[in-house]
Amino acid sequence: MQEESDSGLIARAKKNPETFGLLYERYVGRIYNYIYYRTGNHQDAEDLTARTFYRALKHMSGYVDRGAPFSAYLYRIAHNVVANWHRDTSRRQIISLDELVMGTLKRDGPASLAEEREEQDLLLQVVHGLPPERQKLLILKFVEQMRNVEIAEVMGRTEGAIKSLYHRTLVALREELTQVQNGREELTGRTGHG
Amino acid sequence: MDEKRVDEVLAAHAEKLIDQTEAIPQIDITDEERGRVAPLFQLAERLQHSMQPVQPSAGFVRSLGQELVDQAKRQMTVTKRLRRAVVIGAAALGSLLSIASVVGAIVFVVVRLRARAQARAIRAPTG
Repeated sequence: MQEESDSGLIARAKKNPETFGLLYERYVGRIYNYIYYRTGNHQDAEDLTARTFYRALKHMSGYVDRGAPFSAYLYRIAHNVVANWHRDTSRRQIISLDELVMGTLKRDGPASLAEEREEQDLLLQVVHGLPPERQKLLILKFVEQMRNVEIAEVMGRTEGAIKSLYHRTLVALREELTQVQNGREELTGRTGHG
Repeated sequence: MDEKRVDEVLAAHAEKLIDQTEAIPQIDITDEERGRVAPLFQLAERLQHSMQPVQPSAGFVRSLGQELVDQAKRQMTVTKRLRRAVVIGAAALGSLLSIASVVGAIVFVVVRLRARAQARAIRAPTG
């Protein structure tokens, strides 16, 4: 059976509240993933996912279908909700280079596993430090596994602009990682001597 | 290797990473070009490995879904009530306007008749 289109569901949701539940079921996973990778923890991801859908529901009657995917509307709300959360609560984790390095050095466990985990954590920390638009691009690409065309629709840009942004993001990320890794090596050298 | 070409090469690589089954246009690159983009390929592969989808808990999804449907129902009830109140208000206003216009018309006719009667009385010869 073919899945009902977003436009059909939106039109029905304006008349029948139960239908909003179907839109929610369709997108809750994606929005949750996006928020999880922007906040870094499940508790806040749940809270902000709920806020996103409540806000979407509140403005549902005024939603005008202009041909863009409904997910673009939800991601935009989620983006604003996360931005407000960072601003209002000042809970954005700002970890100094030394703190980050010491944190990764202290880990226990089998050497190779721990090392791999450290690398992953380090990478995600650096991703968290990127501007929101770049984080969004990486989340849509690698977590949501969207094609460039789809990302362009969601982010309201051209496909070419997305490709270029992806290139710049990788370069910036590599530079940031090199800095962090150099800092780590320096610190390891210092602790080794001390 | 110009920037635009690097954009295309990286984009094709990323598309291939996320969906290996689909036919992605192949871009042939020279060894020299490969040397330039290889670190970025590796970084993209690390990102793909580290950024795995997570699942929200089933309990959370279920309870939020129920709350949203309840909220949607409440919202719809409020909207219906508001709409009904607007319709009743408009009808009441319309009725008031109709009554006012009828009263106005009657007053207008009475005033005109009185004025005419007075004029006739003034014109009539006395004695």
